[in-house]
Amino acid sequence: MTDTYLNLVNTGFTKTLAQRLGLPRPAVLRRHRPGDPLVTGPVLVVHDAGSQAEADALAEQLLGWDLDVHRHGNRDDRFGAILVVLTGAQAPADLGAPLLTTGGVLRGLAPGGRVVTVSRAPGDAAPAVAAARQGIDGVLRSLAKELRRGATGNGIVLGDGVEIDAPSVAGTLRFLLSGRSAFVDGQLLTIGSGAGELPADWERPLEGQVAVVTGAARGIGAEIARTLARDGATVVAVDVPAAGDALAAVANEVHGSALQLDVTREDAAERITEHVRSRHGQLDLVIHNAGILRDKLLANMKPETWDPVLAVNVTAPLRITQALLDGDQLGTAPRVVCLASTSGIAGNRGQTNYAASKAGVIGMVRASASALEGAGGTINAVAPGFIETDMTARIPFATREVARRLNSLQQGGQPRDVAEAIAFLVSPQAGGVNGQVLRVCGQNMVGQ
Amino acid sequence: MAAARTPGSQTSSGPTPGSTGAGGDGSSPRRAVVVGGNRIPFARSGGPYVRASNQDMLTAALDGLVARFGLAGERVGEVAAGAVLKHSKDFNLARESVLGSALSPETPAYDVQQACATGMETVVGLTNKIRLGQIESGIAGGVDSTSDAPIVVSDALRTILLDLSRAKTPQQKLKAVSRIRPGHLAPSAPTTGEPRTGLSMGEHQALTTAAMGITREAQDELAAASHHRLAAAYDDGFFDDLLTPYRGLTRDANLRADTSVEKLAKLKPVFGKHLETPATMTAGNSTPLSDGASTVLLASDAWAAERGLPVLATVVDVEAGAVDFAHGRDGLLMAGAHAVPRLLARNGLSLQDFDYYEIHEAFAATVLCNLAIWESEEYCRERLGLDGALGSIDRSKLNVHGSSLAAGHPFAATGGRIVATLAKQLTAKGPGSRGLISVCAAGGQAVVAILEAA
Amino acid sequence: MRTPEVEVVELDAVPALGGLYARGVAGSARAAAARRRTVRPDDLPATELLVRGVRAEVEHLSTYQHLLGETGQDALPAGFVHVLAFPVATALMVRPGFPLPLLGMVHVANQVEQRRAVRLDEEMDLRVRAQDLHAHRSGVTVDLVAEAWVEEELVWTGTSTYLAKGHHLAPHSASTDPTPLPSPDNLVSEPQGALGTRGSDTRSEEGAGRAPTGQWRLGGEVGRRYAAVSGDQNPIHTSALAAKAFGFPRAIAHGMYTAARALADVGPARGEAFVWHVQFAKPVVLPSTVAVRVARADGEAEGFSFEAWSPRSGRTHLTGGVSPSS
Repeated sequence: MTDTYLNLVNTGFTKTLAQRLGLPRPAVLRRHRPGDPLVTGPVLVVHDAGSQAEADALAEQLLGWDLDVHRHGNRDDRFGAILVVLTGAQAPADLGAPLLTTGGVLRGLAPGGRVVTVSRAPGDAAPAVAAARQGIDGVLRSLAKELRRGATGNGIVLGDGVEIDAPSVAGTLRFLLSGRSAFVDGQLLTIGSGAGELPADWERPLEGQVAVVTGAARGIGAEIARTLARDGATVVAVDVPAAGDALAAVANEVHGSALQLDVTREDAAERITEHVRSRHGQLDLVIHNAGILRDKLLANMKPETWDPVLAVNVTAPLRITQALLDGDQLGTAPRVVCLASTSGIAGNRGQTNYAASKAGVIGMVRASASALEGAGGTINAVAPGFIETDMTARIPFATREVARRLNSLQQGGQPRDVAEAIAFLVSPQAGGVNGQVLRVCGQNMVGQ
Repeated sequence: MAAARTPGSQTSSGPTPGSTGAGGDGSSPRRAVVVGGNRIPFARSGGPYVRASNQDMLTAALDGLVARFGLAGERVGEVAAGAVLKHSKDFNLARESVLGSALSPETPAYDVQQACATGMETVVGLTNKIRLGQIESGIAGGVDSTSDAPIVVSDALRTILLDLSRAKTPQQKLKAVSRIRPGHLAPSAPTTGEPRTGLSMGEHQALTTAAMGITREAQDELAAASHHRLAAAYDDGFFDDLLTPYRGLTRDANLRADTSVEKLAKLKPVFGKHLETPATMTAGNSTPLSDGASTVLLASDAWAAERGLPVLATVVDVEAGAVDFAHGRDGLLMAGAHAVPRLLARNGLSLQDFDYYEIHEAFAATVLCNLAIWESEEYCRERLGLDGALGSIDRSKLNVHGSSLAAGHPFAATGGRIVATLAKQLTAKGPGSRGLISVCAAGGQAVVAILEAA
Repeated sequence: MRTPEVEVVELDAVPALGGLYARGVAGSARAAAARRRTVRPDDLPATELLVRGVRAEVEHLSTYQHLLGETGQDALPAGFVHVLAFPVATALMVRPGFPLPLLGMVHVANQVEQRRAVRLDEEMDLRVRAQDLHAHRSGVTVDLVAEAWVEEELVWTGTSTYLAKGHHLAPHSASTDPTPLPSPDNLVSEPQGALGTRGSDTRSEEGAGRAPTGQWRLGGEVGRRYAAVSGDQNPIHTSALAAKAFGFPRAIAHGMYTAARALADVGPARGEAFVWHVQFAKPVVLPSTVAVRVARADGEAEGFSFEAWSPRSGRTHLTGGVSPSS
């Protein structure tokens, strides 16, 4: 789906016209392409007084990635990213200095720049500490809304006992700095443990992993398959038999294999297992992407519009995940990602069935986290906002235009933005991220 | 592997071709296995594939197979495929389809044509190459379009045009052109008529049907069963890993799940109307003209194992047969009935030693006539040179997932459909289970084969 | 057969049929003017026409083979030799003194004995004579016997029996037994018969238990195409108008075309040395679909029988067979 408006206001005469008229000008987002630099300029690392050690550690990490790291900024400096380390904050007052420093250089942030906060979860901390930590949540979400020109602001939240050198801290930081997180904005992602490991090759972190992607024939699912394959995974593309032709094209494109399967079948897990067992021996990554919409006001809802939505969107992931956990085909560090939706978080008129299923997915993910952790793995959800797909293309023009602009980035996301988030969550460097819901919504106005 | 066996010997005590050679012990060829198959749904002539060429459809079927088995970019040993109705530009149909597919462009391919047995014969050729160790893997295929059938100019016009192309001087050219008459311009489309007899396949079968006294009721029952069984197989998801949709079609367009013997009984006969006996063959108990393509992935055990691919069945042995239909001695489509006893003898099997029978339903009556022949003491003795009747088969084992009457019959694609379907059935049935295939073909031919669960 | 008193007339080449027809028509007109309708058995001139060094042309042969469904071998089909000899036979029939008129003669039967096939590169001597006048219930029949010799070897003998309708054979003839011929319904001077009003009573009898093994779909152009390849341009085969003039609804197929199709249907199983015999019954009106049965001879007999009939009316067009000759 092409965002004509976005193209118009960013090119040629119409760009000039849009500037004169003061029309909102959504930026062309900085998206990852293999070989691109991680960020577009130097990285400024700021911290509160109590976070010196953590800031040093992170700066060291950035230097390890061959980045130009600055510890002090001036108003005239142009930074590609600003890392705000606030892990040591003991009271709300501690936030002022580092954040004001940040604010001082914000105007110089490069297009497609990044602001990343690093903090600790409030948890059972003392009230003042918790206030400071929770305050960061508010700061980040507000700051993200100030950013322009495709820049984003996101936070890394360290869970209890998680050290700054946990692999997933570096992994998440790298994801948030990179073009892979282009449409992730205003989000805080919690690192729950020190699990996971850094990949040998950041461009192919999924090398040797076997992934199953459901609903892979089209749209986001197809893009997930492509992205996982790009990152090194062997992809088993799954979709209903009726979509088999498109599925075959995707499978062949990514040099994977196609499995025509209705995920609501009783024996779906068995069929997936059988396919993967014989071909690859094990299964490492499972992406429950298959989903359907049957929008109706609840007042008009019928079993035939309610039941299938629940069956495909949440019952199937539940059953397949459980069967895989019960079976013996999962690899040593399995990763499961479910597709939730902002509708599941904020609700949407006419989507009681869909929201039930997608909120259900979130419940499932949170409740399954410990079981997956027990298996050495993780389970997370990605909640896409307005994504330009075949499905959203069917929304009436005016509604689509509004929906598209209702976020901090003033545009709809691309399927690949969702796919990038998923590729990150299933990567070894995300091993400490478990039971989380990562929104890929450009900081949609609704919900969190 | 059956080279030393006496043709026609009824009781073979030696090892059967299929049960040996799995490991390649050096003395006998190794076995060739069916890994799986893929076809596109079969459409009715003039339906959704009306603008699809043979190459389009074969490429689609190949791509679906490649996707199913993760072969994108791989060099497969060889691809063999063919079509019955073929444009002259499609002289390299198989290779051109490979070049358009996701397979490695370094995959060689060759064309085969043996009328409706084309699909079977591609399996035979590649199986033999695999057994001999010449290739490790192969894709057998077949395709046919009755919607995009080649139309040729009349013989008279063709002769003139060829003369024109050879003419050198303007006078010669003018002379050639001046020979063209309006009547020459009528194109001639291919027919299903047998060149030597001028009778269509249906008319031929009608003769056999009448001669063997096959009733309308029996034919309609077989046709209804074919539809019901195919529909049930779809509903069970049996074809989920045998078929890839194409051009919006997800099931065979000819399939009528709700048909019944009563509904079929209402159809008017279309063949055998000028015979002395009542005509019994209708559009309902005959296959319609169809468009479609099928493929089968064949391999050595080692190749399949390397890729973790399933091994569904072994192609144990095959036999081609032909009958003298032109002199009215045998029915055009009865060659399978003649070839099967030879195949059985070579493998030391009886007709009843099978778990499944796949007899191509060119017409319902074709299947019934085949069965009647095997049950006939007289026919088996006099025409087949046997000691007695081969006997009857358990009809519940026959075409258990439906056959051509329901699915349709794009001529060269039928062999691949049947081989893949039977191979999957055998795997489900379990080790040692065995199936018999018989596919009749124009020209009084047939190719029959034994498959065994691998 | 050829007795010393036979006068052998050697022609320089196979004559062109066009000129022969003109003479034939003129001769027929003279005969009609003379109203000499009674012939005596010894009226046939003891003349044999001979043409030496006849060779088939490859293009002519190919055209014939493709039209009749013969394989494209260098061996001349038995019917093709008939085509080569036909102008010579016609030349004999238009000679002054031939007792029967060419115009209106009906081909009622044909028999060919082939000892071996003639090759494309072989030169043949063609000899043609007329013999055996027989009384027939509709007139008088005559056999035109053609022989093909290669070197000093007789390889092919064709006997074409023609009926001259409305003539009688003088009763004191030595040969008074009418040859048992099938009902010559195709008498051109008896259009009602040709149109099928007669003989319909034979339909069910003829049709009983007769299963086709094939069919011929004969288009309207078949007469013209065979005329082009055989040179037999008799307008009843090429023109609907002319056919109507003789009482047919449309043009009719050449008898030898249908006979040669039947021979081709038997195929290579006929071998090289055989006797091929045909009796013509109802003519085939073009275009039409003809049911054909070609079957191995029953019981001990070797060879094949064939039969062609109309699947609509059930009336027989021709019957015949091919049997191996020793």
